Amino acid sequence: STACTGGPCILADSREISSGPEVITYLRTTHGVRVDICSLGGCDYIVSNRLSVERKSQSEFSNSANRSKLVERIKHLRSMFERVCLIVEKDRVKPGETSRLFQRTKYYDSTLSSLISAGVQVLFSSSQEETAALLKELVSLEQRKNTGITVPTQVSGHKQEVLNFYLSIPNVSYITALNLCHHVPSVSQITNSSVEEIVSKGNVSKQKAEEIYCYLHYVFDPKMLQ
Amino acid sequence: MATTQSTPVRAGASAVPYGHVIVSEKWRGTELAQLLQGKVNLMFEDGLGLVDFHLPQRACILYISETDLVSGNEFKRRLVRFRKASNLRGIVLAERTRLSDQYYSPVQNFVVLELGMTLLPVTNRSEAAQLIFHLIQERSREGGSNPFIGKKRCHLSEASILQTVQRIPAVGRVKALQLLHHFPSIQELSNASLRDLEAVVGRGFASNIHSFFTQT
Repeated sequence: STACTGGPCILADSREISSGPEVITYLRTTHGVRVDICSLGGCDYIVSNRLSVERKSQSEFSNSANRSKLVERIKHLRSMFERVCLIVEKDRVKPGETSRLFQRTKYYDSTLSSLISAGVQVLFSSSQEETAALLKELVSLEQRKNTGITVPTQVSGHKQEVLNFYLSIPNVSYITALNLCHHVPSVSQITNSSVEEIVSKGNVSKQKAEEIYCYLHYVFDPKMLQ
Repeated sequence: MATTQSTPVRAGASAVPYGHVIVSEKWRGTELAQLLQGKVNLMFEDGLGLVDFHLPQRACILYISETDLVSGNEFKRRLVRFRKASNLRGIVLAERTRLSDQYYSPVQNFVVLELGMTLLPVTNRSEAAQLIFHLIQERSREGGSNPFIGKKRCHLSEASILQTVQRIPAVGRVKALQLLHHFPSIQELSNASLRDLEAVVGRGFASNIHSFFTQT
């Protein structure tokens, strides 16, 4: 396992290999960003300890049939990450096809308004190449704020089992689980940690650390299962 | 206008009633104002400084025209001055047209990534009017109706905890329930001694579980 110490590092969901191959290629070749492919389960890119980036094509974003999917997805991201960024990317035009005229609808404007009001950062991109450039800017910005990803992103053996254990804690993101994995020698040290220790070991906000702390101390009542 | 810039942001314009918008006097009689008229309550005011529109909930709009975008850096100075002078939530609308398209990307980097403001593209004034209308609507709605904020999904802790315990290698649902019956929180389970665990699940499993929690 290699550490991404120093250089910029981004985690990409394995589905992005097929849906945004150029984004990953440009990040790696043009921008010199380490892109590690993981199964992130419901999240496209993790750019730092606190920022997740969702990539949507313009047509997908502006189609109101996808509303509930988008809402669920963004809510899910907001429950795990302090910051959520959405990149709306222009659809690729296939050779011989003229680009379709984009019709701006009420749905489009009201969705944008709600996202902004919810504190989601929205960026617009005209291609996968530009999306890669935006991700590069975001990762540099996060590095400057000392929130960049610094732990090794590949784990195996016992560490993999521990990672899966942490990932089952509600609203814990992949990067938080990784941080806990690498910053704490054993699981029992986390279960016995104070909120402050969870903040520093997991690189999370106080609020998130409190959530994790409560979960680890929650008293299970089998009657509540039914 | 150099004169209005002596007050970068008008004080007190942060409390705009729901369904209303305070519009800079310079927009009076324009197509954009006409398109908004009747849909929302426009209140024209002089001396808004750098701001074009004040919306409810401490938001405001700074409008960047196609000409601004093409002709260079003046609007950047305006945004920086705004950012320094006020803690209102600045939403920048920029006319992204065929002519100004090439300038959009660096402007987006500047506005969103450097200044931490919001930037939204529109292709013309009528699109801008529709967007402004929705921004006002959004900020005038009753709290809690934003679909992206809505209540957090209610996690049934018991079900999640059962899942978490099953992530311990070789522990299935039955073993997980047995364990939680004796050590009802994850923290207690993690601190269970080898002997206590043996009494519940037998020697082999006990050492597995114990080493999962303590192995470094």
